[in-house]
Amino acid sequence: MESSFSLKIRARRRALGLTQADLAERVGISTSYFNLIERGKRTIGGALLLRIARALDLDPATLDDASERRLAAELTDVAGDPLLADLDLGGDRGPDPLASAVAALVGRHPGWARALARLHRECRDRGEVIAALSDRLGQDPFLSDIVHRMLTTIAGIRSTAEILASVEDITPDQSRRFHTTLAAESASLSDVAQALADFFDQAEAPKRAVTPGEEVDDFILVNDTHFPTLETEAERFADALRAARRGGPRRSADQAALVLDGDLITFLDRSGGLPDRTRAEPVPGLPEDALSDGIVRALEDGAPAPSRRFALARLATARALIEPIEALVAASPTLGTATARRRARGVLAAYAASALLFPYDTFRDDAERLRYDIGLMRRRYRASFEQICQRTVSLRRPGAEGVPFAMLRADPAGTLSKRFPLPNLAMPRHGSACSLWAIYGAFQTPGSVVRQLAETPSGDRFLFVARTVAKGADSFGAPARLLSVAIACDARHAHRLVYADGLDLSTRARADAVGVSCRVCPRKGCRHRAADSIVPT
Amino acid sequence: MPTRLLIAEDEPSILESLVFILAREGYDIATARDGEDALDRLRDPKGPPGLLILDVMLPRLDGFEVLRRVRDDPALKRVPVLMLTAKGQARDRQMAEQMGADAFIAKPFSNQDVVRQARRLAAP
Repeated sequence: MESSFSLKIRARRRALGLTQADLAERVGISTSYFNLIERGKRTIGGALLLRIARALDLDPATLDDASERRLAAELTDVAGDPLLADLDLGGDRGPDPLASAVAALVGRHPGWARALARLHRECRDRGEVIAALSDRLGQDPFLSDIVHRMLTTIAGIRSTAEILASVEDITPDQSRRFHTTLAAESASLSDVAQALADFFDQAEAPKRAVTPGEEVDDFILVNDTHFPTLETEAERFADALRAARRGGPRRSADQAALVLDGDLITFLDRSGGLPDRTRAEPVPGLPEDALSDGIVRALEDGAPAPSRRFALARLATARALIEPIEALVAASPTLGTATARRRARGVLAAYAASALLFPYDTFRDDAERLRYDIGLMRRRYRASFEQICQRTVSLRRPGAEGVPFAMLRADPAGTLSKRFPLPNLAMPRHGSACSLWAIYGAFQTPGSVVRQLAETPSGDRFLFVARTVAKGADSFGAPARLLSVAIACDARHAHRLVYADGLDLSTRARADAVGVSCRVCPRKGCRHRAADSIVPT
Repeated sequence: MPTRLLIAEDEPSILESLVFILAREGYDIATARDGEDALDRLRDPKGPPGLLILDVMLPRLDGFEVLRRVRDDPALKRVPVLMLTAKGQARDRQMAEQMGADAFIAKPFSNQDVVRQARRLAAP
């Protein structure tokens, strides 16, 4: 199958007036091998990719097609829209015509491909707004009552007016009575109309096509979930916090290396104090922190220690690292709206908090040594399951990478949040994923780790590790919110994980046949299918 | 003898117009302002009326409940019923038909529609 990568190489080679043999010779491989690469039959990376890029005088980053794969996955989603079901979007090219067509579009017309994806997003977002408004119109008791009052009043006015207009032998008394009715009902209709206008004045319709949440998602993905400047600044900040310690009880070597609650509290006290519901003045840092229920709750007595510690770190980084955070936000072309920029600041402060509490090198070394055992890592860093997962996803420093992980989070209705995909593991942008993913299975055994060797329809294998987490204080009236958090890595890296112990990772071994979501899943006869597929089966 | 007709409607302006236009057609008209009042008047010793015009959103007993009791009562079940509703939605119309209403008019209506339907169901 042609990929945008192979199309790009071919276009560039032809533009330079080179034959395949010329280029193969310069790169130092056989013409037939280069031919396979250029036809998309071989995937390459590393040194060979760099050599080809150099021979073609291209920036290797432009050949790294992770962002294009995301675009291709999004266009595959577009093709899955029921609205387009009757269009033959694949044509008749090759064994997987849809994938070929999408790759060709992304490779040859990347601008159009992006435009299509953006328009589809807008179209789908508008659809959601309409559905929400329509629900509201159908169910809102105020609107239902006001429409009834309006129709009733108009019925009275119309009927009375018709009598006055069409009945000729009406007595003066009757005429006067009907005129009085008409005036009274008209006044009543004005009141109803005014109430309706007031109602709509207060209703705000979302105005953006792409939601701020999606802008932030894109921003994180474009940066490959890794922000080097924040890593450096967080390390510098951690050094400063530790240096500020004076006296106090003796600490173990571990404690001495890590940032502790006390360090954070000292810093926050000296730099403007903690947010508090009773406090009139906002605290320094991000303006919304003072109002954030999540942060205030995490700081309450009795809140789980990892949440409290993370909230302290999050407040501290929002103050100490505001400059590098602002610089990242300002430099991003992805963050188009004020809401997206505000959210991105919060996300980056959380990233910096994670970098502060879980220093990159130590954390990666521990993770490798403990074979990514999340339970042991939690203990080592006194952190929550989700915090550890989130940090492992950001271990992408070139030259010091950890295992590349995807991460996702689902609620019991199946809806995904916190999507961090891998190039070969696409994730639905909206709604739920394949119901066979371990992330859903974990809901059946709350609190236990569930693992799964899964194979996607394209033949890629992944090891999923999932567990439920409970959010918020648990009371009878307001039970904790149960979410499922999962990470996944390519099966080729799985041997580095404790979760693969005892599993047969060979390609002959049985793996759960999963998809991405039903609409784009080609599997035949799946007993878990919940919607028709639009890709060839 | 003019045909007797009962109008159950709680909105005074609509009731007054309906009484006016239907009396001009020659009907002998009684009125009710809520559902229970309507049932009482239907069980008049002189016998049931020749037509019931019934609003859906009535106080005390709504129009659908009145209709159900009319259709369950051997003495009343043959009375033709013309339903009026301010909702005008397909669901109300469907419900009215299922429950045995003979005709259905959505507000705001034209007087001519009401007269035409009344004549069709019970000539004055």
